[in-house]
Amino acid sequence: MKKWLSLLLAAMLTLSLAACGGGGGTSAPADGGSADSAAPAASGNAIRLVNGKIEVDAPLKKLAAMYKEETGVDVSIESMGGGIDIQGTLKGYYQAGNMPDIFVNGGASDFANWSGLCADMSGEAWAADTDAAYINEDGTVGFPYTVEAIGLAYNADILEKAGVDPATLTSPAAYEAAFATIDGMKDELGLTAVVGYYTEPVNLYWSTGNHLFGNYEDAGLARDDTTYFDMLSDGGKLDVDRFTDFAKFVGLLQQYADQSMMISGTYDQQILNFASGKYAFVTQGSWIGATMTSDDADAYAAAGNFKVGMAPYAFQDGIDTILTNSPSWWAVYKDGNVEGAKAFLQWLTTDAAQEVLVMEAGFISPFNSSTYVATDPFAQTIVDYQNAGKTSGWHWLGNKEGLAQNYTGQVFNDYAQGNLDTDRFVQVMQQVCATAYGG
Amino acid sequence: MDSVNPMKKAASLLLLVAGVALLGASLAMDCMGGGGAIYQYRGAVLIIGIVSFFLGLYLFPTMTHHRDIVNVIFLFPLLFTFGVTVIIPLVLGIFYSMTDWTGIRYTQFVGLANYAQMFHEVSFLWSLLITVLFVVFNMVLVNLVGFALALLCTSRLKGVGFFRAAYFLPNLIGGIVLGYVWQFVFNNVLVKVTGASLLTKTSSAFAAIIIVYIWQYAGYIMLIYVNGLVTVPGDVLEAAAIDGANAFTTLIRIKIPMIASTITICTFLTLTSAFKQFDVNMALTNGTGSVMDFMGQYLSNGTQMLALNIYNTAISKNSYALGQAKAVLFFVILACVSLVQVRISNSKEVEL
Repeated sequence: MKKWLSLLLAAMLTLSLAACGGGGGTSAPADGGSADSAAPAASGNAIRLVNGKIEVDAPLKKLAAMYKEETGVDVSIESMGGGIDIQGTLKGYYQAGNMPDIFVNGGASDFANWSGLCADMSGEAWAADTDAAYINEDGTVGFPYTVEAIGLAYNADILEKAGVDPATLTSPAAYEAAFATIDGMKDELGLTAVVGYYTEPVNLYWSTGNHLFGNYEDAGLARDDTTYFDMLSDGGKLDVDRFTDFAKFVGLLQQYADQSMMISGTYDQQILNFASGKYAFVTQGSWIGATMTSDDADAYAAAGNFKVGMAPYAFQDGIDTILTNSPSWWAVYKDGNVEGAKAFLQWLTTDAAQEVLVMEAGFISPFNSSTYVATDPFAQTIVDYQNAGKTSGWHWLGNKEGLAQNYTGQVFNDYAQGNLDTDRFVQVMQQVCATAYGG
Repeated sequence: MDSVNPMKKAASLLLLVAGVALLGASLAMDCMGGGGAIYQYRGAVLIIGIVSFFLGLYLFPTMTHHRDIVNVIFLFPLLFTFGVTVIIPLVLGIFYSMTDWTGIRYTQFVGLANYAQMFHEVSFLWSLLITVLFVVFNMVLVNLVGFALALLCTSRLKGVGFFRAAYFLPNLIGGIVLGYVWQFVFNNVLVKVTGASLLTKTSSAFAAIIIVYIWQYAGYIMLIYVNGLVTVPGDVLEAAAIDGANAFTTLIRIKIPMIASTITICTFLTLTSAFKQFDVNMALTNGTGSVMDFMGQYLSNGTQMLALNIYNTAISKNSYALGQAKAVLFFVILACVSLVQVRISNSKEVEL
């Protein structure tokens, strides 16, 4: 009797094991991302895209719906952003055998992570239609979807009222004079401060540590000039003269910045205040246009939907370029649904898809065949700079991983707090860059 | 009945062989990948293999080892889970810490180079130092606050139930949410009182983390102390009151000695959890804060504690192998602490 009981128990135990394990076992093939279910038959024809720009989540989902209607293929959009470490998350997906078919890569170091794992797309029709694709030794691995610009964004209406011509802002002296003029008319123009310069290091490190610092690397140079980027890559060296000029310019920004917000203000506050017409300048790039016309649309309308533009970070005489580049690319995972992903990317360059990408997501199309010009407030200024040939590339995407988050962002904040003077700022920056590249 | 039954023996051997064969076949299919209709049933094949193997094992005609076999069968699910979720990752982790693993692949074995490098990294030493400081501060403060709250909640105040729940509530909120909520409080509300946000200076940011941590954790510790305090026998307290002991003497001479074991438990709870502090640290400051001069260097990770340092090394600086080496050190430290804790708790129990 006892024996039968134990037999029964043992059988139940193994059965329950079978039930749990069996569920996992049979569901595995249905999971398209499973590392070893490389067989296309098992993964179906659905496509999963990891998007790094959370602000365009809605337009992308609309595109997915359109694509589903047209071809019957399911496209799921997974948006990440707002300070999330996307590469870290992707690595987790890779380890878990849950890689998306299309995923975002930010630049050289990101693509280096995935070398040998991205599909070559050089044979695709769109590749001949753009010069912004990301190309490395694996072939054409990055699909460009927009062009962004980094410059000192300004409120054109306020500058006009103050009698400052933005075209003259190509030297530190011109900036100093312009800032002083506007500062004197603050009450009249309804300004809180001349510049919305924010340095909070926890969530906004990328603005200072990547974008502002990126201007030291590239401002005023030809698009393919990597002099200062190469110096930095070689053990974290800085050009002391150029960086000192840069530091002085940052000091000027600090002097005319919104003091109560400069140390610990948030990105949302920065954009809202600029959209409300409280700052004449803001140290953010063209991507804020999307926020100004969506989340902050009420404030922007109340401030009269003023015209905006972008001026170069002219920390040395004669710097007259803004930085433009594709901020990130979409890569296709080699062991995923490659054909489906390629077809979807090709479809994105068609007229109907471009209309959504440009008119709704506010992207500046990198494709020559696209005729749409975004309604985004900054679209025109970028097109103008591009037509005038006054753009520099940007290379900060290739900086040492974590440089801004772990090192330079904090140094900018210390400078703004007054813990470092200009000379010490330059010294400390040299030290942390050397540490970051040396370690 | 106890004699070996040839039928049973044959069945047992058959099941054992079939089980091993099916197991092998399913694993081979999984490793070699696609092909064939049976491929997508490899999970089921695996399970059938395991079941028949254990059935064969159970039916194996032996008298002397039958009990052992049954024990193993019953223990197997737990051992298997423990192995897959704890032992294998630990061994793999130690292995990865000695390679140049990038999170995706590794190309070479580097021995102890990662371990040597981490002790040359000034910012890591700083993280170690402030983690120890944080642990000491918290061990003392959380216990003091928790104990004080417990005294309050065991007194004859009105609405004690409400206060107990209220003090415990912060513990139910996740650390990340707590961190962001308090970041808002420090940056937008308290800034009106403190002038500059507490989070902008390393020392005050460190204090801010301690404040938030106490707020989160003191309620939990309080509950344990409350449990300890209510077990103090009423007759002892009554005797003390009759002998003329005032409230303070009762506390020092009666209550605290009576709950010595609770104090040990709470001390170690706060110690280990403070060591592992990660979520509040990440959400509140993400390790930022500057140190002007530590061992001759400017540091930009003023409030970065050990767990966060490991995370940032691996994820944001993209040095997975180095981060893994730090994690192994972290494991060793925590293992030592836990061993000491078990020792002390055991000896205390004997005393009682």
